[in-house]
Amino acid sequence: MKPGGSIVDLSTQAAPRGLVCDVLVIGSGSGGATAARVLAEAGREVVVLEEGADRTGKDLTQRDGAMYDQLYMDRGGRVTEDLSISVLQGRVLGGGPVVNMADVVPIPDGVLRHWQKKHGLTDFSPEALAPFRARALEDLSANPIAPEQINRANGLLRQGAEKLGLRGEVMLHNRVGCRGLGTCMLGCPLGAKQNTRFVSIPKALDKGARFFLRARAVRIEAPREEVKRVTVAVLDPHGHHPTHTFELSARVVIVAANAIASAELLLRSGIGNGHVGRHLILQPQLAVTALFDEKVRAFDGIPQAYAVTEHERDDDPEHGLWGYRIEAVMGTPGNVASVLPLGGAAGKELMAVYDRIAAALVLVPDEPSGNVQLGPSAGHPIISYRQAENHKARLREGAKLAARIYFAAGARQVFVPTSPPVVLESEADLGRVDAISLAPATAPLLSAHQQGTVRFAPSPQLGGADPDGRVYGTKGIYVFDTSGFPSSASSHTMTPVLTIAHYLSAKLANQK
Amino acid sequence: MTAGGFGFLTRRRVLALGGVGASALLVGGGVRSLLSGAPPVSGLGVLAAREYRTLDALAKTLIPRGGPFEIGADRFDLARAFDGFLQGEPPANVEKLRRALLLFELGPLLFEKRWAAFSQLPDAERLKHYEAWANSDTLLRRQVAIAFRKFMALVFYDSPEVWPHIGYPGPSLARLSP
Repeated sequence: MKPGGSIVDLSTQAAPRGLVCDVLVIGSGSGGATAARVLAEAGREVVVLEEGADRTGKDLTQRDGAMYDQLYMDRGGRVTEDLSISVLQGRVLGGGPVVNMADVVPIPDGVLRHWQKKHGLTDFSPEALAPFRARALEDLSANPIAPEQINRANGLLRQGAEKLGLRGEVMLHNRVGCRGLGTCMLGCPLGAKQNTRFVSIPKALDKGARFFLRARAVRIEAPREEVKRVTVAVLDPHGHHPTHTFELSARVVIVAANAIASAELLLRSGIGNGHVGRHLILQPQLAVTALFDEKVRAFDGIPQAYAVTEHERDDDPEHGLWGYRIEAVMGTPGNVASVLPLGGAAGKELMAVYDRIAAALVLVPDEPSGNVQLGPSAGHPIISYRQAENHKARLREGAKLAARIYFAAGARQVFVPTSPPVVLESEADLGRVDAISLAPATAPLLSAHQQGTVRFAPSPQLGGADPDGRVYGTKGIYVFDTSGFPSSASSHTMTPVLTIAHYLSAKLANQK
Repeated sequence: MTAGGFGFLTRRRVLALGGVGASALLVGGGVRSLLSGAPPVSGLGVLAAREYRTLDALAKTLIPRGGPFEIGADRFDLARAFDGFLQGEPPANVEKLRRALLLFELGPLLFEKRWAAFSQLPDAERLKHYEAWANSDTLLRRQVAIAFRKFMALVFYDSPEVWPHIGYPGPSLARLSP
């Protein structure tokens, strides 16, 4: 191991030849960066591959077009095969936490007990994971969102919920020094998010880890050998097209590229058992918007601070996390306009009141309902997902409750942006929500928390990786990300991934 | 950008949707006359002039001039922006998108049995045609409608000239007091 690591953009600098390292980590998000840091601190020679570039400070322009292009997989256009659900996945040094809403929601104890009981992950007890959860929270500088940081849009959601006597909470977050720029989904130019980019990656660099950017792992070979060979495609400086490939070798490979890309890489490599790529969880979310007479200016301040948790539970015997929650949200103009279903003058009328709109997402924890398959080229998988009827029912129920909350807060109108749109003028119109079919490509559903495609299980008959994260049928190939979760770990996966990555990395570091 | 993800437009499904008509158009045939006559457009990287014409007509339909605020898609060259977007897409996606454009352009013929292409429809009929696709019972038509609308909307409302009309003061970093 050499002191002092490096960040090397392979689109502009030469790739290393004949490199052999102890640990190759694929993906630099919560799972990958944490693994890189822990294993580098344990003395391993670590190399990390990241498809994205390093974008911080004024690189983060707060503009929709350029930022979706640079910060997200498939340039922000990743979507299920039937175009029903937009699948948001970060692609930048630091991964998803660079572009997430900075919500800190640890794995509830009920979920861990569910994993123990239903999925046989007996090691994953709340007690065993408590120190690793504490490390995750420390990494994130987790702190409650202060009352003065709650913007008007979140305040309206809270006001309406409290009027109706609903349970809710101001969430923990990982911002320090936040100035309320409001464009968290496009990265924070002020670096207020205490995420992997500013915590684990610098620590890994201090211990000699090397980060290669614009580097897409396309195939792992010799999965049962002592030394694995990995083919890497180098992308152009925009990250759009591969330009050439090279090969490097590692004794241990940790795949931490999110439930979609991790599964795709294993499938492309022909690695793992029949569970790999299956059991996909997307946690679909449906937007509900409300029009107020006042200027809400939801685009200013923290977009997501308050959650209505009245109908969310973490101890469902069959599913663990279940029910639904409603969270405030807001996006930049291009983002918002892209989910509104109307064209012509009617579409312009909707956007003309952009500064008077508050919006919420109904988030539904789902059972595994999809799979990842290989697409026509590496890095562009096919994501199939079928909405279960119980998902649809909970999305409708949540949309109705969101509408009631907004009316209680004084909304003039509530709008569910489906095709065709559903417009509610008062609670008397709530029945219209029941008519929303949620058939494919009729609602702007999104997924920000993909999980479960290489799920941890005590035997290869039940899952794709063992409880230590080792992919079944391999020697020294691991998954340390959301792909291992057998059910929804939490309503927001950053903290769960950090927790599990700390836990599994510590185990791996203790192996000879 | 959000217009990506066109894995749904497989050749098999396009053929199945349009039946004999679609098969004919994909292999050439009498419908060529409907597609001809597009004025040349310089500087395109991917799109043909005919495809540019379809996208340009669609952009102006989705975001017309007038209404609650004057500025519309005609202020920007959204079809050219789409051409730029395509240059960064994998070849398989580009092929599928071009197929989708062709299908949409010939929509009046295929689904309304009118001897007309979308870009030849009168302005007032174009929006109705688009909405018929967006609210169609046929998944593929909805998918095509959504995909192009998302791109147009994102690019248009990401434009600083539009922001004053929607009450958006622009990126907040520039507005931050020291």
